[in-house]
Amino acid sequence: MNIGNLVVRNITRRRGRLVFTLLGITIGIASFVTFLALGGSLKDEIRREASALGANLVVTPKGSCAYEQVSVLTGDQLPATITMAEVGRIKAIGGLTAVPVVTEKTAIKNRPVPVAGVLTAEMRAFKGWEVGSGAYFAGADEEAVVAGASVAEQFGLKVGDELTIRGMRLPVKGVLKETGSKDDSTLFIPLAVAQELFKAGDKVSFVAVRVADVSRTDEYVTKIKEEVNAGVVTDRQMLKSVLGIVGTVNVTLQLIAAVAVLAAAFGIVNTMLTAAYERRREIGILQAIGARQRDIFTVFLLESGCYGFMGGVLGVIGGLLVSTFAAPLVSQNAFTSFVKGSGSGTLDPKLIGGSILFSVAVALIAGLYPAWRAARLTPVEAINHD
Amino acid sequence: MTDAIIQTENLFKTYGSGAAETHALRGATLAIPRGAFCAIIGPSGHGKSTLMHLIGGLDRPTSGSVRIDGAEIGGLSSSRLARLRAEKIGFVFQFFNLLGNLTAEENVAAAMMFAGVPDKAQKERARQLLELVGLGHKLDSRPKELSGGQQQRVAIARALANDPDILLMDEPTGNLDSEAEAEVLAAIRDLHRQGKTVIIVTHNPEIARQAELVIEIRDGRVARAGHAASALERIAA
Repeated sequence: MNIGNLVVRNITRRRGRLVFTLLGITIGIASFVTFLALGGSLKDEIRREASALGANLVVTPKGSCAYEQVSVLTGDQLPATITMAEVGRIKAIGGLTAVPVVTEKTAIKNRPVPVAGVLTAEMRAFKGWEVGSGAYFAGADEEAVVAGASVAEQFGLKVGDELTIRGMRLPVKGVLKETGSKDDSTLFIPLAVAQELFKAGDKVSFVAVRVADVSRTDEYVTKIKEEVNAGVVTDRQMLKSVLGIVGTVNVTLQLIAAVAVLAAAFGIVNTMLTAAYERRREIGILQAIGARQRDIFTVFLLESGCYGFMGGVLGVIGGLLVSTFAAPLVSQNAFTSFVKGSGSGTLDPKLIGGSILFSVAVALIAGLYPAWRAARLTPVEAINHD
Repeated sequence: MTDAIIQTENLFKTYGSGAAETHALRGATLAIPRGAFCAIIGPSGHGKSTLMHLIGGLDRPTSGSVRIDGAEIGGLSSSRLARLRAEKIGFVFQFFNLLGNLTAEENVAAAMMFAGVPDKAQKERARQLLELVGLGHKLDSRPKELSGGQQQRVAIARALANDPDILLMDEPTGNLDSEAEAEVLAAIRDLHRQGKTVIIVTHNPEIARQAELVIEIRDGRVARAGHAASALERIAA
C-alpha cells in the first residue's frame, strides 16, 4: 500500500463524480488545444502563403490596412484601383518583374471560391505553375478557366466542364498541379476577361513584384512610390502585419479557452472540497493510524493532480479530434480558409506535453485550498464527524 | 506507580467558550501500568472518550499533562504526535472505522504505510495479522462484504499493524451482537496475554469484569480506580 494506491482508490470510487469533474477539465483543455492547433496551423499556412507568393513587394491600393493586405494572401476580394498605366510605370523601373492581379469571388454550389484575373503567360512564369490535366491558357484573353488543384478536387471539376462566372459560361481548360499555396483553391482567368466580367475597367487589385537584387528592396519601394500613388509593402512587412492580426485572434481565442479551463479548475475545487467534507471521518481514521497533516495534504493534492493529468490527456486527444473535424468548417470562412489542408489536427509534441502539464498545474493549484482544508482538520473533529 | 506506561495529571479539557463552554475533563489524574488490561467506565457524556482521545494523542488537553512511556506528549508537534500514533498506539473504534474503498488486507497495510514499512513487508504482516484474528480467508473482502464482528477484527488487526505497546479501544463491542462480541473479546484477551497494554472505554460490564484495572470517570474526574471487582461492586451499589 502506498499513497499512489490510496489516491487511485479514492478517485475511482465515485465514478459519476470522476466523470463529471473530468468532463469539465477535458472540455477546457480540449478547447485550449483546439484553438492552439488551429491557430498554429493558421500561422504556418500564412508563412507558407507568403513564401509561395513569390514576391518581395506587393503594391496594394493606397491606404490599404493590414486586414486588406491579408487578402493578397487569402485570395479574398480587393478593390481594383491600380491602373494598367501604373503597372506599366512599375515595370518600366527595371530590375524587377511585376505581375498585376484582379482578385474577386464567385460561387460554385453556393460556396464562395476565389477568382484571380492574371496575365496568363507572365503569371505562369512568375509562379512556375505546372499543369496537372488539360492545358494552360493559349492566349492572354482566352475565355476559359484554369483551376487550382484543390478547388478542382473539392467541386469535382474536370477539363471540359463549364463554370458560370458573373453570368458568363467559361470552360475549364486545365487543372494546375498542387502548389501547396492558396493558388490550389483559386480559379484563374485571363486578366482582360476578369476586368470585363467584374467591370474593373483597366484596373487591378494588386501587383506582385519580384526584384532582381533583394538587397535593394527598400530602394525599389521608394522608386515604386515615386511612380504610382499606391501602397507598397515588403513581403516581410506584410507577413508581420498579417501574423500580428492572426496573433491577436489567437490570443483572444486562447483567452476564451483559458476561461473554460478556469471554470474547470473551479469544478475541481468544488469536487475536492466536497470530497474533503464527505471524507472527514476517513481523514480522522488516517490520522489515527499515523497519517501526518502533510500526508493528508499530499493525498488530496495528488487526487487533484490526477484529475488534471487525466483531463489533460483526454483534452489533448479531444482537442486534436475537434480541430481535425473543425478544419473543413473553418475553411468555409474566407479569412480562415487557409486552415484547409494546412495540416491542422497536428500539434507540436512540446505543445501536447505543455497542455498536459498546464492541465496538471491548474488542477494542482485548484487542489491547494481543498487539500489545506482537509489537512488542517484535527483528528478528533474529523473522527467525530457523522 | 513506577512502571506506568500512561500517566495523566490534572487533565482538563474544555470545548467552546463563554456561554457554550463545556468542561469535558476537570482534572483527571491516573496511571495505567504497562501490560495492564484496563477498562474505563462511567456514564455517557462524563469524559471517557475525551480521555481516550487525549491519551491517544488525537487531541490536546486544555491544561495538565499526558505522559506516554514517561515522555510528555502535550508539547509534541502534530507531526510527532502522528508518528507516536503510528508507532506506539493502535486504535479500535465502536463503528470499526475501516476505509470502505480498501480491502481488509489494504486496511491493515495502510496503517504500516504511514510508519514507512515497505510494500512487501506490509503485505506479509497484514496477512499474518488477519490470520491471527481468524480472517485469513477474507483478505480481499471490502468492509461492506464483512459482518460487524469481522470488521471489528480487521480493525483490531489494523491496530496491531505496527506492533504498538498500547491498544486504545472505544466501545469495541458496542455495535456487535453477542456472538461477534465473544469473538472480539477473545481476540482482545489474546492480545493482553501477549503483553499489550489494552485500554477499553466501555459501558459493557462483562468487559469491565474481565479487566484488571477499572477506572471510573464521572463529571470529568477519576471517581475511582481499582481492581475490577471492587469498582464494579461500587457501581452496582
